[in-house]
Amino acid sequence: MFHGKVIDASKQSISLDEAKKFITSEQCGASLFFIGTVRNHNNNKKVTGITYDSHDAIVEKSFKEIYEEAIHKLTIDHPSVYIEHAKGYLGLGGISIIIAVAAKHRSQVYELSRYIIEEIKKRTPIWKKEHYNDHQSDWLKGNPVHDLSK
Amino acid sequence: MKIKIELFGAARDFSKQDYLELTVPEPTSIKEVRENLMDFIQAKYPENKNYLEIVKRSAFANEHNEIVQDHYQISANSKLCIIPPVGGG
Repeated sequence: MFHGKVIDASKQSISLDEAKKFITSEQCGASLFFIGTVRNHNNNKKVTGITYDSHDAIVEKSFKEIYEEAIHKLTIDHPSVYIEHAKGYLGLGGISIIIAVAAKHRSQVYELSRYIIEEIKKRTPIWKKEHYNDHQSDWLKGNPVHDLSK
Repeated sequence: MKIKIELFGAARDFSKQDYLELTVPEPTSIKEVRENLMDFIQAKYPENKNYLEIVKRSAFANEHNEIVQDHYQISANSKLCIIPPVGGG
């Protein structure tokens, strides 16, 4: 089971309850929730918030590809994955991403969750513009993408 | 011919609109689009070396939401997106 979506932060929030409802299954003995939030510092600067930009269609396609790749490469029984990423402005503590996974065993959910977040960071077209307490803003440098399927 | 490049991430700073229109020879490739875009940036923002670096490190996507390589050929009225280095999470 898979769900992957970009959430417009000006209209909706990422919901832990929805994620839990989606992945819950009697076949699974382990569930894991990874939540990314906006923190108040980066590179010795005081951060007040982040604006996320996204190419929604490619992001959602990339979530699906990463999920399919993960369950092909890793040995996961009864995988269930729920991924949402926010776009738009989030203040401190705002939830930018949730990766909720369920599977038969605990080792499988740790492995699956870690695989998904690391691949998203490498290749999913989402960008962060940090806002600082001196009213300056900067796009973060990021990782070049050459081929989403690799 | 004219092509439209939709801007994302750091490349949004290249224009007040969310896209750029470039005039390029027909036919053309992604490699030539990148060179053309770099010429445009150099002319418009001669002091800003960071913008050139962004173009160098960016990928491009076509209207089918596929990342396309340097040799990919562009036809008239093609829509492209520039995909600067990414970093979600």
